[in-house]
Amino acid sequence: MNAMRPSTLETLGLGSVFDIFRRGQLPLDAAAAVGEVFGPAAARGSLVISGAGGTVGAGKAVQLGSRLARHGVTVVGLDLPGAPDGLARQFPGLVRAFGAAQAGAIMAGIVRLHYDGRILPERLRELRPRVLLEAVPEVLDLKRAHYRVFRDTFPEIEIRSVTSGFPSHALGVGIAHPAFPHEINKVWEIVEETPSAFTRLLWAIGLLPVPVSDHWSFVLDVLFCGLTLAALRQQRASNLPYWKSDKLVRRALGPNPFRAHDVIGAKGANFLTWSCLHHLSQQYGPLFAPTPELVQRKESGQNWYPPAHFRPLVDWAVTERDEEELQDWILGALIQMTSLLLHERRSHLTHLNAIGELCAQFRRGILAVIRELGPDAALRRVAAYHRLHPEAAGGPWYPETLAAIGTPPWQQLYVNAEHDGTIGVVSLARESYNHDVDAELNRALDWLQAAGIGRLIVSGDFHLSTQMSGADTAEFLPARGDAERGAAISRAWSATARRLHDDFRVSVGFIAGKRCLGGMLELMTHCHYLVAPENALLGMPEVTLPVVPGMEGCHWPLRKTDAAGRAKLLRLLLTGETVSGAEAAGWLVDYAGPMDASLAAAWEFASHAEARPLPRAAVELPPVPALPEAPSPQTDAARRAILDCVRGACAAPLAEALEAQARHAGAFMAGEWCGLSRT
Amino acid sequence: MSDAPDAYRRARIPYGTWGSSYFPAWQMSPLAEVNIGQFAGEAMNRILGLRGVPRRQLDFLVLGSTIPWHWKFWTAPLVASCMDLRIPGYHLEQACATGLQAVLAAAAEVESGAHDVVGVLTFDRTSDSPVGVFPERRAYQRTVPLTDVWDNFGFDPATGRAMLACAGQAARKYRIERGEVDELTALRYRQYFAAKERGFLDKVLVPLELLNVQGKSMGWIDADLGVRGVSVASLGAMRELDTCVTAGTQTHASDGMATLLVTDRAHAREISPRPEIEIRIVAKAETRAAPGLMPEAPALAVERILARTGLRMADMAVIKDHNPFAVNDAIFALRLQCDWRRMNNTGCPLVWGHPQGPTLTRVTIEALEEAVELGGGYVLVFGCAAGDVGIAAVFQVTDRGGAE
Repeated sequence: MNAMRPSTLETLGLGSVFDIFRRGQLPLDAAAAVGEVFGPAAARGSLVISGAGGTVGAGKAVQLGSRLARHGVTVVGLDLPGAPDGLARQFPGLVRAFGAAQAGAIMAGIVRLHYDGRILPERLRELRPRVLLEAVPEVLDLKRAHYRVFRDTFPEIEIRSVTSGFPSHALGVGIAHPAFPHEINKVWEIVEETPSAFTRLLWAIGLLPVPVSDHWSFVLDVLFCGLTLAALRQQRASNLPYWKSDKLVRRALGPNPFRAHDVIGAKGANFLTWSCLHHLSQQYGPLFAPTPELVQRKESGQNWYPPAHFRPLVDWAVTERDEEELQDWILGALIQMTSLLLHERRSHLTHLNAIGELCAQFRRGILAVIRELGPDAALRRVAAYHRLHPEAAGGPWYPETLAAIGTPPWQQLYVNAEHDGTIGVVSLARESYNHDVDAELNRALDWLQAAGIGRLIVSGDFHLSTQMSGADTAEFLPARGDAERGAAISRAWSATARRLHDDFRVSVGFIAGKRCLGGMLELMTHCHYLVAPENALLGMPEVTLPVVPGMEGCHWPLRKTDAAGRAKLLRLLLTGETVSGAEAAGWLVDYAGPMDASLAAAWEFASHAEARPLPRAAVELPPVPALPEAPSPQTDAARRAILDCVRGACAAPLAEALEAQARHAGAFMAGEWCGLSRT
Repeated sequence: MSDAPDAYRRARIPYGTWGSSYFPAWQMSPLAEVNIGQFAGEAMNRILGLRGVPRRQLDFLVLGSTIPWHWKFWTAPLVASCMDLRIPGYHLEQACATGLQAVLAAAAEVESGAHDVVGVLTFDRTSDSPVGVFPERRAYQRTVPLTDVWDNFGFDPATGRAMLACAGQAARKYRIERGEVDELTALRYRQYFAAKERGFLDKVLVPLELLNVQGKSMGWIDADLGVRGVSVASLGAMRELDTCVTAGTQTHASDGMATLLVTDRAHAREISPRPEIEIRIVAKAETRAAPGLMPEAPALAVERILARTGLRMADMAVIKDHNPFAVNDAIFALRLQCDWRRMNNTGCPLVWGHPQGPTLTRVTIEALEEAVELGGGYVLVFGCAAGDVGIAAVFQVTDRGGAE
């Protein structure tokens, strides 16, 4: 099997995406994974979370509890008497996510125990602890003592620390470092020598374990704490208030570092950021040295934003020069820090890139940002940063790591391709479609074509992409006032999508994940065949934003089906409702069934099916189905615009429909009813 | 030029690190609706940012304001917090003398060696000034409500007179003519508009945009709102409220802030964009005039400072004052034998208003900026304040790099 770059699944010991389709089954079954970690159902062990009253412990208790309860695994929340009741605070969120009954059941499945920090409660023995997830305060000696207490009583227990900073070799246990917000964020940075059964269990229950190396502070904290530090240094030099610094950093990269600290809880977050930077500075020098402002807030626990009665009063207009200098401070520092991560081979590059997006609000991963800059501009940015902050020039700084930007691991951060000489599998590691994905998808298709591959499966990556949520709307913001720019994006992305249909003998779209919506569904429908697990959700929610679909969703799937199917598609387009894979079978998807059967069906289509012709002439539309009343004038306007687009694109021959669709999408984006914020 | 004593050997004012908001007339701008202490703190931070001075350089803050504001109890530490600074400081006030006294107090802090970089921040909001409610057992009302600005303007408890009556009484004492006062006033407006026209005010005043609680713009503070052109004829047509005093020949209430730094010499050279310019504080003086003769008091203070320093009016490169009434300048010119046409070349509070606390700070900044334009020299700043007080100070500007 050939691959553009190694699959991220391989870092978990789970093979490749290609293997999944070839075998027609997922590499690991959740029930089996639970059994391997917690023992057989008749003698199921428990998961103990110590520090369960804290932000991390409570969040992880409900996240893991909601996924393990169905397998009969008890979650034990252990904490000191008098510790805050973080678990109770999670209940409203559980109700919103699961409904009152299921939320109650999840909470009922969490056993809460107290202890004095030295002697474990006797009852714990009855619960057969198999795994300890330690979430006690970030004090090295305290953590080590805690492990001794458990190992003395339960010598076989598997221990993982949620630490954000201490390396595994210092703690003497493995690391499973989760990301905020802990109750919903699925990413866990994993430090262990080889992928363990516990790590594979996380994957099997739908979480995102991401192996990282055993260094002081892991990838997420180097990036996020490093970004916070860079913003602190910049505002220290410029007097920018923190709220304004946040706005500018958000505009440049996505995150609001200071707001994030306040939202997480300044007291704890300030300490963790300081702790991370303190240890990094001891390892690597002044590049990471905390500023006095951070030290002060670590000690006071004070928020970064002023209290509500002192909401900012004087605005802070910035010039282009100010913004350029901000880029030097922020991006220059981050590029230097990233060079350290690359030099130390902290993680698979796709992981390293995705962690910022999935856990720290980066609009695009740091590697994608650096890649777009190019090595020369990135080096110039770091040089400018060193002029502003000469202490950082002493290192660590590994400019040579940027020389590899042209290689496949850098070039295919979001899209991988694998083939066996006959069938190619393209896998998407990003849930929303943007220009990075578009470019990488084109490179992947080129690579397969160059290898003479005519049979193609397009799928999520079964790892970082747990759903296919649609187009990344941030990409459209520059087009808010510019219809031609919007149409250009639509045209370019549609042209890529058409390659799935035009450039391969047969192509199969596979919905890997919980749902496939909007632009991602438009992309997938360009395949000759579409396969979905029966419970996957499919929909075109553009009307609810509202925008007009831009990747031929207003005519392409309508050309693939009959009049009855078109009526259903019109309803999808005009209401934004979703349908399950099972409900969509026959008019939107070609096969829907259980996961393993769906995988096998996709392989079967790819192996033996032939392309189906698409009507190239205009297609006739059925009457518009009865619709529920539009909830707002904006939705009403969007419905009319989408219907106009459907009529225009379906009335055009296939060769002209792309342009018709693009013009409609671009015009709506520039118009008054579009729901996207103006830049 | 006479040799002046060197009263402040350590303290310097770093050139170019200062700034003031515009002074919109009361009730005319969004400043009428905000916490002026918070505004002042954030505006000072902004001004320091624009001047390239990291706020972390400051180690002490001297506040000057005269009108109570929300959370005034917390004074300098609170305002410092609005800049994300945890530095100490204190607050002082003495009506319109505040803006100059704050500079001199900051100089004393540096002079004493207690601090090296002291921020002077003066501000006031005359708009919608607060109402104090004072239990007074001996007053027939038992409890007395008092609006801070207008009730105080109208009644000096020590003399029973209004401010305006002081101006009339002083004009009568010095036999000032209405025509001279109107002519003087018209010149002051011409001076202001000429300075504005040639961009001088842009060196001193900083436009500031205010945000509401949703973070949306409430508008810009980018003009001395309420200032409009006058002529001798238009002034002459105005009704006389007291001797030589009309609506046109007195100042108006306004809102605003002003800030400058006082540092030791080394820090001044480090943080000034033009370290070759040295600004020293030479001397200060305060006096009180006889009851009800407030417009005379500044002249008395200047006479005192000249006597103590040995300087003469002829030594002064720049003369600038806080003149709530035009008669102030006429009396000053008469007593000091100084042509009022030589004074207030770039504008004055008679024209751009009277927010009390920051008034003399802006006067000082404009005067120092003017002296730098002239290539250096002595700068005389003075003014009157409630209680028939006069205050004066002399600065010396030396351009070691040569005149611009």
